[in-house]
Amino acid sequence: MGLAILLGVFGISVVIGIPVAFAMGLAAASAFFFEGFPLLITFQRIISGMTVFSLLAIPFFIFAGELMLHGGIAVRLVRFSSALVGHVRGGLASVNIFSSMLFGGISGSAIADISALGSILIPVMKEKGYRGDYAVNVTVTSSIAGIVIPPSHNMIIYSVAAGGGISISKLFLAGVVPGVLMCICLAVAAYVVAVKHNYPADKFPGWKIVVQSAANAIPGLITAVIIVGGVLSGVFTVTESGAFGAIYAFIITAIVYRSLSWEDFKTAVTTAVRTTSMVMILIGCASAFAYLLALYQVPALLSSLLTTISENPIIILLMINVMLLMLGMIMDMAALILICTPIFLPIATGLGMDPTQFGIMMLINLGLGLCTPPVGSCLFVGCAVGKVPIEEAVKTIWPFYLAIFAALMLVTYVPAISLTLPGLIG
Amino acid sequence: METILLGVSAVNRWLGVLRTACIFLSSCALVTLIVIFGWLVFGRYVLNVTPTWVEQMALLLICYIAFLGASAGVYEDTHLGVSFFRDSLGAKLRKFVRIICDLALAGFGLVMLLSCIELVQFGWSTKLPMLNIPEGIRTLPAAICGGLMLLFSGARSLQGIFELASMVTRKPGGTE
Repeated sequence: MGLAILLGVFGISVVIGIPVAFAMGLAAASAFFFEGFPLLITFQRIISGMTVFSLLAIPFFIFAGELMLHGGIAVRLVRFSSALVGHVRGGLASVNIFSSMLFGGISGSAIADISALGSILIPVMKEKGYRGDYAVNVTVTSSIAGIVIPPSHNMIIYSVAAGGGISISKLFLAGVVPGVLMCICLAVAAYVVAVKHNYPADKFPGWKIVVQSAANAIPGLITAVIIVGGVLSGVFTVTESGAFGAIYAFIITAIVYRSLSWEDFKTAVTTAVRTTSMVMILIGCASAFAYLLALYQVPALLSSLLTTISENPIIILLMINVMLLMLGMIMDMAALILICTPIFLPIATGLGMDPTQFGIMMLINLGLGLCTPPVGSCLFVGCAVGKVPIEEAVKTIWPFYLAIFAALMLVTYVPAISLTLPGLIG
Repeated sequence: METILLGVSAVNRWLGVLRTACIFLSSCALVTLIVIFGWLVFGRYVLNVTPTWVEQMALLLICYIAFLGASAGVYEDTHLGVSFFRDSLGAKLRKFVRIICDLALAGFGLVMLLSCIELVQFGWSTKLPMLNIPEGIRTLPAAICGGLMLLFSGARSLQGIFELASMVTRKPGGTE
């Protein structure tokens, strides 16, 4: 009965439009009340859920991303990508994907990636004769790379949701190859569509320009090196490296590039505060919610349900993927990581899957949900930035969607893709 | 009815000032958080003295960033939610469901306020390690957030009720 109350209140709250964080808080409070616990337990769990030391890295990553967005790092990355890969057929799409790989790697946020690169590249692509829906679809789907290419605050959320037993540095390393693989799959899809529509290719500007633009972009790219390198080398904790990365990004944009005005700084701080509070309250409420899910033994119940359908690990993993995909279509990523990790991770590890590989699989899967209506926040932001109706973008998104799905299947069934690098370096 | 609606929007403007104050305080807390972590790294690697208070201070600041920012998010209606079911309803029903959401949020805010006041009282006699300040200060922003949620969502639900009433009483020709 308690579980029915928990899930029922949560389901009804979400359906009528109560924000997901508070829907989880309401559901947890109702279940605690039903079980006869004092209500303040709910808020004690919410507060203790968000006051975890490694979670402190999240505001730093978000702030660093905002500084890069408003401080001119994104423009320099686009110039470098354009010089390097702009000369292939449909070159601007490749520029878009390559820039996402670089920028997403620094900011770790798909939305920041779309806002930064989309606002620069989509208008240029349209001006050069590319269709608006193509430009939006390339921008939106390539932004998922930012979720798996380190550093990514979603990896920290996953690590915390998994009980803190999964090394963040291992997750960072595990995300590199799948992120690059996704970008390659997307570049192939973009090339095929570009050939079909006969999109133009820019002239190769020469190696001198490539080197010049690289030199200009390198100070910005070092932010990622500081964050990831600091964690991997063991010099910094993930929180310290996030703080150091944010300070470095501030120095680069304000002093070296001199492209961060006071207004830009204020916008970066207030946007970072809004995003951080949204994520942290979600984490706190999900902590109370997940506590009750564990209390009601939901992971064990679901595991036995799945094994009654099939005992084949391939089928079970496919079912988990389908469930995550469907959930990803209606709910946001951070909330789903927090809710689904305690439920699906024990099932996956029971099948012999490495928790690190499962994390990367889940992140790609939920990232795909960000590009899928009806919720699909990345799709909405991309369409708003590109001024393209969602219906128009959705009609032609499927080649890109298939490309990511192919990468997802490879990551799911070929452990070496995500586990080789952590095995070699970690 | 129009006078009441004007009164409600005047209250909303005042609540907007509260929202701005929340964002300002959270922003100051974020900048402080980054500065003290910069100091931590500098102290550890340059001065060879680790400021041990930073961790506890950071955990305190994150509570203020999260709860004050979250209450501002309630005012701005920017929290992540699934609105497409509600958006697919007709205008009056949509307004009604919106009022229910706001009332539920206000109710949650009230429970949060009362429970967190209890937590603040409970933790006031205990000191936070390294900072030597009452632990209740850490739970205080949650109580403030609860109070602000009650205010913001309560005012919005009140405005919604009046708007719905005016929609219901409005005749097809446009007069009340």
